[in-house]
Amino acid sequence: MTSRPATNLRSWADTPERSNMLMLRIMTWISLRLGRRTGRVVLHLIASYFLLFAPASRRASRDYLLLALGRPAKANDLYHHFFTFAATIHDRIYLINRRFDLFDFEVHGEQTLRSMLVDGKGLFLMGAHLGSFEVIRSIGRQNPDLRVAMVMHQENAQKINAMLAAINPEAVQNIIGLGHIDSMIEVSQRLDEGYIVGILADRTPGHDTLYPVRILGADTYLPTGPFRMAALLRRPVIFMTALYMGHNRYAIHFDKLADFSNTARGQRELVMQESIVKYAALLDHYCRAAPYNWFNFFDFWQTTPVAMSGKKLTAHSDPVPAPAPNTTSTITTTATTTITPS
Amino acid sequence: MTQINLIPAIASNPATAVTPATATAMQLEVALLIVECLNLEVTADQIAPDAPLYGEGLGLDSIDILEVALVVSKRYGFQLKTDSADNKHIFSSLQSLTDFIVAQRTR
Repeated sequence: MTSRPATNLRSWADTPERSNMLMLRIMTWISLRLGRRTGRVVLHLIASYFLLFAPASRRASRDYLLLALGRPAKANDLYHHFFTFAATIHDRIYLINRRFDLFDFEVHGEQTLRSMLVDGKGLFLMGAHLGSFEVIRSIGRQNPDLRVAMVMHQENAQKINAMLAAINPEAVQNIIGLGHIDSMIEVSQRLDEGYIVGILADRTPGHDTLYPVRILGADTYLPTGPFRMAALLRRPVIFMTALYMGHNRYAIHFDKLADFSNTARGQRELVMQESIVKYAALLDHYCRAAPYNWFNFFDFWQTTPVAMSGKKLTAHSDPVPAPAPNTTSTITTTATTTITPS
Repeated sequence: MTQINLIPAIASNPATAVTPATATAMQLEVALLIVECLNLEVTADQIAPDAPLYGEGLGLDSIDILEVALVVSKRYGFQLKTDSADNKHIFSSLQSLTDFIVAQRTR
């Protein structure tokens, strides 16, 4: 992939969530008044709008689909990609309103999840911006014995909770906001209470240490924070995705990612690295299996980090040594990209 | 993974890393625990008792704070409470963390 101008750099905090919220707002209005069938007509308008008027998203989609499909994407591929994104957001409205009857969920690996919950201690569920994470929260709502708390950026958490409250006040989520001194202590306490703690582990809040991986045959980086958290708290980690398969069908997959329950302190780094690599392999697998479900509409496969001086290195007066190949590097993102129609 | 990326840096202003004469023996003991569990590049006596541990001060993130919490609660034998306001205060500086340990320790 070619290098991108600074405005297209990996961003996390506001980009897709912002467009998410705008779309959600529009579609909530339409859907709750006109029903899912009519609401879906609007999805075509939204997909067309993105295809025509969101060049940054279009470029990101095209670059991604080239890797995932193994051939240059055609216009209808891009359309399909945007439509899938819009469809999952649209369906959130119904999921939040507990209209589970509208959907056909095909669950793979539920036993993996159940078997790791037997001791009543919580675990981590790591998802990605791949498919619908709302579906997992729905599972939590359908099964009162499964309590789910989501870890997310505070600003997004507030927006999402405001939106959930508007759609269905009972649906307000148990959300743990990142960026507080005690964010992780709260995570720890939820786990002790037996909660499933969900996190989307494919994006960084801008200052996390990154680990180089290969996904879809191209180099990229994943944040180490979520894995470090799981390792410290000595919990099992299960990968989860709910892929949209068209119409009203979702394929939910649970895969065991790691179990830090008995990981000795000295082994922590190694097991963490192995689990990041496995997470990358699962993303690779499901991107190929359901290519239109990838919802990172920015240049995920950045060739090199913007700055090698990460958050914890910037204060050093000495020059930061260049990382050796196959070691972690840190990235500081300052630029943001937007896919919000404006 | 290279160790270097996991090492929080000292504050960019070198003045904040100078030990005030008021650092107590107990504060130094806790500082040493922090330095050891996070593999910090600073020495225990370079952590100013009143400087913030989180963010701008010592440069710890919330996962570092968790690691410190796990280590001190194990070492001194107490459980952290769920009260968020308390935790924000406890982990605000070496001094407040040490005060809390002294009040709560069972060993």
